[in-house]
Amino acid sequence: MAALKRSRVAEMSRLKLFYRLMLRPSFREPVRLTVTVLAVAFGVAVVLAIDLAGNAAAGSFHSSMETLAGDNDLEVVAPGGVPESVVATLATYPSALRVSPRMEDFAVLEDSQQTLPLIGVDLIAEGTRYAAAQSDHSPPDSATSGKHALQRLTDPQSIWVSSNLHKPAGEKVSLLVNDRVYECTIRGVYPDESGSENAILMDIAGAQRILNRFGRVDRILIKLPPGDAIEKSAAELKSVLPAGVEIRPQGTGTDENRKMLAAFRWNLRLLSYIALVVGAFLIYNTISVSVVRRRAEIGIVRALGASRVDVLIAFLGEAACFGVAGAFLGLPLGRVMASGAVKLMALTVESLYVSSRPGSIALTPFSILWALLIGVGVSVISALSPAREAMNVSPTDAMAQGRREYIARTNMWRDLLIAAGLAFFGVLSAGMPAVAGKPLFGYLATVLLIAASGYSMPALVTFLSWATSGLLKKLVGVEALLAARSLTAALRRTSVLVAALATAVAMMVSVGIMVGSFRQTVVSWMNDQLPADLYLRPAGDPAADRHPTISLDLTEKIAALPGVSAVDRLRAYEISYQGKPATLASVDLRVLRSYRSSDFFSGRPTEVVLSQLRGQNNVIVSEPFTYKHAVKAGDTLTLALGESRASFKIVDVAYDYASERGYILMDRETMLRYLPDPTPSNLAVFVTPGANVEDVRRRIQEIAAGHRILIFSDRDLRTEAIRIFDRTFAITYALEAVAVFVAVMGIAGAFVALVIDRRRELGLMRFLGASSAQIRKLILVEAGLLGFLANLAGFVLGYFLSLILVFVINKQSFGWTIRFHWPVTVILAALSVVYVATILSGLYPAEVAVRLNPLGVIHEE
Amino acid sequence: MSILSFQNVSKHYDTDGQTVVALNDISLEVERGEFVALVGRSGCGKSTLLHLAGAMDFPSAGVVLLSGNSTSSLDDAGQTRLRREKVGFIFQSFQLLHTLTVQENVELPLLLAGRANPRQDALERLHWVELDGLASRYPHQLSGGQMQRVAIARALVHSPAILLADEPTGNLDTSTGVVILTLLQRLTREQKTATIMATHSVEASAVCDTLVRMRDGRFEEVTRR
Repeated sequence: MAALKRSRVAEMSRLKLFYRLMLRPSFREPVRLTVTVLAVAFGVAVVLAIDLAGNAAAGSFHSSMETLAGDNDLEVVAPGGVPESVVATLATYPSALRVSPRMEDFAVLEDSQQTLPLIGVDLIAEGTRYAAAQSDHSPPDSATSGKHALQRLTDPQSIWVSSNLHKPAGEKVSLLVNDRVYECTIRGVYPDESGSENAILMDIAGAQRILNRFGRVDRILIKLPPGDAIEKSAAELKSVLPAGVEIRPQGTGTDENRKMLAAFRWNLRLLSYIALVVGAFLIYNTISVSVVRRRAEIGIVRALGASRVDVLIAFLGEAACFGVAGAFLGLPLGRVMASGAVKLMALTVESLYVSSRPGSIALTPFSILWALLIGVGVSVISALSPAREAMNVSPTDAMAQGRREYIARTNMWRDLLIAAGLAFFGVLSAGMPAVAGKPLFGYLATVLLIAASGYSMPALVTFLSWATSGLLKKLVGVEALLAARSLTAALRRTSVLVAALATAVAMMVSVGIMVGSFRQTVVSWMNDQLPADLYLRPAGDPAADRHPTISLDLTEKIAALPGVSAVDRLRAYEISYQGKPATLASVDLRVLRSYRSSDFFSGRPTEVVLSQLRGQNNVIVSEPFTYKHAVKAGDTLTLALGESRASFKIVDVAYDYASERGYILMDRETMLRYLPDPTPSNLAVFVTPGANVEDVRRRIQEIAAGHRILIFSDRDLRTEAIRIFDRTFAITYALEAVAVFVAVMGIAGAFVALVIDRRRELGLMRFLGASSAQIRKLILVEAGLLGFLANLAGFVLGYFLSLILVFVINKQSFGWTIRFHWPVTVILAALSVVYVATILSGLYPAEVAVRLNPLGVIHEE
Repeated sequence: MSILSFQNVSKHYDTDGQTVVALNDISLEVERGEFVALVGRSGCGKSTLLHLAGAMDFPSAGVVLLSGNSTSSLDDAGQTRLRREKVGFIFQSFQLLHTLTVQENVELPLLLAGRANPRQDALERLHWVELDGLASRYPHQLSGGQMQRVAIARALVHSPAILLADEPTGNLDTSTGVVILTLLQRLTREQKTATIMATHSVEASAVCDTLVRMRDGRFEEVTRR
């Protein structure tokens, strides 16, 4: 008991000492304290925001088509739809199955342009809860009475909507489905407080009519009797189903999409960690400065009985306090940032992957704990090295030196050797293959190169300062000489600051090069992908997995227009191949087209490759497809199509950047043999030579009245495609901006600390005749030099990181071949902005320096 | 006319509501080439007097005239000009910049003033203080006495009218301190610079022309040789 009491007293004493010696002095430097805490806060916030947004946009992924799917066990699917006969087969199967056929597509609310799932279910069998919702209390003879609602079940103009849409029963709405607008009446509203079941519901027959898909359903959901094993039941049911139909656990599509999105999420995570790395550099710098300033105090407390471990824990504790404060600040900041991030991510997910509706952002206890762990963990790890240095301070040496400056030693050559080793292993890692489809070695290479860059900073700072100080003195004046010498005098501190900013700049440069290369590759690729004069698609927001169709009658009318020489009917279906989503597409090879160059792995002319598809079971696959499924030209694919399974030979592989899902392309005639629906998803119109394209466009617009069709010229399409492309990278640009902001802010704070630590020198300068302007210039030149060093180092590091991004991470994550391209203007502009920002960050520290009282600082000793 | 004149000068500071009188109605005239030693205990006002003389601080009452001009009338630019042209400072702890070589330290005031030929002038001053051959060394490679000589060379590089030395031998051993004092005396006479030195050193009284004993901000005794 006495021992416990003594222990408690000792603990309280330690805490008191910790507060007095470590924390209270920090409050006397509010700028440095604020900047350090904010650096941690932003790092935590960004990581948290990306995680929360990722979970909302994709992680707790809820495909739009899982809306109202209930808790079924199995689903039956087939490209192009499941024959209705399968419904009867399942319904009459000798087992108490609950069979729910569905039509599934998308509709756009004309008033709000909101795209929602359009789901057709057998309302009589299962939809009474929807049909009767909110209509029971209406007068019996009104349009919304329960009796009338049931009577209108099969009316394709009758729809039911979720309460989340905030539209009352009885309201008329215009729905864009494929290329037509339908005037519909809301017959009922079903409860949906969370908004997770927001959809447009109608009777299945009505849906078939409105979608013009007769004789087929899109999916059949099956609920097994209690106790029946899912896999066994699936195998048994498979035996009675046609060969071209697939039976699988319900929600498999969701799982497939979730896996597909994993690479995208991991890459975003990596980018978000860069802001944290920048914050880590700044924490390291702060604690290092703290150790240097407190050398005499460390000597005193050691002489008074503190152990080395006490000193170590004190500095780690200081770092942990920064981490905790930063984490708590980062939590609400991250939550706010997540709201913006989820919107940007949802755009990317929709454009590149799959239609989805972001879930709600959930700040769970786990997320909070994770944020705390990141904040404290990163801070403590960053502080480890300077804290260890503090614990090894010799008391007598520290006290004998008094308050004289102690210049922390850096072992430049040793650090350079470490840097070389890290770079070597980084290069090795970059050459390693993917692990389970993830570019883990690519990520490792990135980390190793960033670490190598950090270790090489002392040498870079020393060499460049030495090499340029003479020239700078001539060009800028003695202030530049002093600035250059100051940077090398506080080498450890300077190199950490340069490393922090360089890391942020490298991220900016590497992503800029990667995006620029990708963009240029897509632009070059598009030059040969768009041989037609005009392109048509149904109105509405495009998405990777949505392929609304154009009415057949409109298609025929367009083909018959004067000035139109040919119309290529393209059709696409979403399928699942080897458990991964893919697109099955067809083009009309009777339409002759000319191409400027080859986009195939074989390098053969496009006309030659396409001719091999005509009328045969041959296909072309896209590069992402080959990567995901490890196939190549000459291999055979077996696809479940229609009521059978058919084999197709891959004749070549095409470079494609339209979607990450990967596609299989065949001749239209071949596809119609298996999937007889002739309606096209897109039309490519070839204008007769000599005819005016604009005239033809006008004629198409005239005959398309009543349809919602978008018409693009090839230039329009290129612009639209690039617009979508740029939109998908909005989230990465946001992450870069945060990292650079954290770094520049950190530099500003560190500069204030530098000024305070150099007050003797700055005071002396005033004694020697330096004017206020010269003092200010000195600090700004130093900031400029630091910015220049960081830009240079960041540019070089960014170049190497971009090689890893382009040729390793991107390739292994998505399968795309990107041709390297320098976006010179973008990079120069970005580097200039960072450089100017760095100089501006020196403005406040410069004013602090100018306002120093030289009398006070000179006589401090 | 005296190069430096204190006329009924007082200086007080307000610290946390308390008034501290650093100088109390002192008057002093210093001529060119005169070596003045200020002696007294810590806190008697020696350093304050030096700061007022160098226009680093300003009197609360009275007038400080430097070359006939009142220092209180100077704005920031005027003060800077004064320090560049008329005043040189020497400190107890030398106050050299460790990132610069000996030569660069001495050149610094000339470079700040934008003067031509700083190298030549710096080397000449290093010759005056008998440190030829050490121009390319760094301060940490020098002894205490050598560092103070560099500081003296720096203080004289722009040929100031007044040299203000605050405990220049305070961090030196006795024999080195004597060497420094002798050097200061010689340079004062040769360059016709007025030197005012605050010191605890007994040896200082042997080299100065005027000894001013200070106590509690006042002159106790002024002895001219």
